[in-house]
Amino acid sequence: MSEGWLALIQQALGLLFSRDPEVWSIISVSFSVSFAALLITLLPSMILGFALAFVQFPGRWLVTNLVQTLQSIPTVVVGLLAYLLLTRNGALGDLRWLFTQKGMILGQMMICAPVLIAMSHAAFTSVDRRAWETSRTLGASWSSAIWVVCRELRVPLLLAIIAAFSRIITEVGCSMMVGGNIAHVTRNIPTAISLETSKGDFAQAIALGLVLLVLALILNFALGTLRGRASPRSH
Amino acid sequence: MIKLIAQDLEMRFGERLLFRARQLEFCQGEVIYLQGDNGCGKTTLMKLLAGLLKPSAGTIYTQGFPATPWWRGDTLLGKAIYLHQHPYLFEGSVSYNLQLAQKYSGLNKAEQRTRMQSAIENAQLGKLLKTNASTLSGGERQRLALARAWLLKPKLLMLDEPISNMDRASQQTVFAMIAELKQQGTGLLISSHQHSELTALCHQHWHIESQQLTTSANLTLATEELQEENYVAAH
Repeated sequence: MSEGWLALIQQALGLLFSRDPEVWSIISVSFSVSFAALLITLLPSMILGFALAFVQFPGRWLVTNLVQTLQSIPTVVVGLLAYLLLTRNGALGDLRWLFTQKGMILGQMMICAPVLIAMSHAAFTSVDRRAWETSRTLGASWSSAIWVVCRELRVPLLLAIIAAFSRIITEVGCSMMVGGNIAHVTRNIPTAISLETSKGDFAQAIALGLVLLVLALILNFALGTLRGRASPRSH
Repeated sequence: MIKLIAQDLEMRFGERLLFRARQLEFCQGEVIYLQGDNGCGKTTLMKLLAGLLKPSAGTIYTQGFPATPWWRGDTLLGKAIYLHQHPYLFEGSVSYNLQLAQKYSGLNKAEQRTRMQSAIENAQLGKLLKTNASTLSGGERQRLALARAWLLKPKLLMLDEPISNMDRASQQTVFAMIAELKQQGTGLLISSHQHSELTALCHQHWHIESQQLTTSANLTLATEELQEENYVAAH
C-alpha cells in the first residue's frame, strides 16, 4: 500500500517537474482566472469596506450584515446564481460567457467580493480614528489620508486579500457550474482534481493537490511573517 | 491677517448641549489659553476649528490663507493644525513620521531641510531617528508630534493638554519649542485644565463654563493663580 502511494507521489512530482503540458495548462487557468477575479474586485471592495466603516448613510447596518452573510454562502450556490445570470435566457446571457474563463472570473468575483468587503470593513473599523485625523490635520488630501490609513492597516488588509484569494483558488462548485471543466479552457486545479479522482487517475490529482498545498504553505508563511512584524501599539 | 473666525457656534451631541460661542477669532501671532473642566468640550472645540468635526450650528471660516484648490474639499482642514492630547504616531520609525509630515508642508526643498534640522534639534530627536515610534515614551511621543507640526511651519496650531503626564525634562523641551513657535508668529491655542508655565505664555483667555464659551483679553487672573500655585508648591 505504502509503495503504491510512493509510486503515485513520484509520478505526481514527475508530472510537475517534467512540465507536463496538461498539468501546467490547468495550473495556468487556475491562477490567471483567480488573479483576474481578485484584481478586478480588490479596489471597489476596499472602497466599499472603507465607506461602510466611515460614511454614515441610511441602511448601512443592513448592507454590512448582508455582506457578512454573503461570505458564508456555499460556492456552489454562487455558481448556480452565476449560471442563471449567464445562461442564454439570463440577465447576462447576451454576453455568451457561460463555459468561458470570463464566466469563471465573474463567478469568482461574486465569491471573493463579500470576503474582501467584510474583512476590509473590519480592518477599517478597527483603525484608530486619530490616524485619519492626524493625517488630515497635517494637510493630507482625502486620497493621501486614505493611503496613510491603508498603510497603517496593511497587515489586516493583506490578510483580507490572502483570505479572498485562498477562497477562490480552491473553490470547486462555481468553477464547475460556470466553467464546465473544459480541458485547456476552463479546467482549473479544483475541478481537475475532482475529475481525475473520479476517473481514478490519482497521479495528476496529487500533482495538482501538491500545487495547492505549496501555495497554502507560502500564503500561511507570508501571513505568519506579517503578523510577526506587526508590533502591538501603545498610546 | 491670517485668522480663523467662528460665529454663533453651537455643539450638541444628540440632545445634549456641549457649548455655545457667539464669536471667536483665532489669529496668527496670538496665544490663547483655552480653559475648562474635564468634559466641557475643549477637545471638541479644537477639532471643530481644525475642520475635523462639523458644528451643530454656526459657521467657521478662514481669512488670509492662500486659496485651496477645489479638489481638496473641506477648506478648514490643514489650516489650524490640531495636536491630540495623546498623539497618534504612524507605524514606522521616528524619521518616517517626520518625513511623512514634511510631504504636506508645501515648503521648498531648502526650507524643508532647514526646518527638518531645527525640528530634530529642538525636539531632541537626533538619537531616536531610527527608533520605532511605537516604542517611544510619553514625553518623546509628544516631542515627535510637535516636531511633525513644526515641519509644516504652521500659521495656527492647537495643542490639547500638551504637557500633561510628562516628566520635567520633556516639559521643558516642549515648552521651549512652543515658546519658539510663538516667537516665529504662530498663532497658538493651548488647552489645559490647570495653570502652568505654558499658560503664562498666553495673552488671551477662552473659558468654557456652564456650556458657554467666554473670551477675555488678559490673563492677569491666570498669572496670579500660577504665582500663587508656585508659591504654595515652593513652601
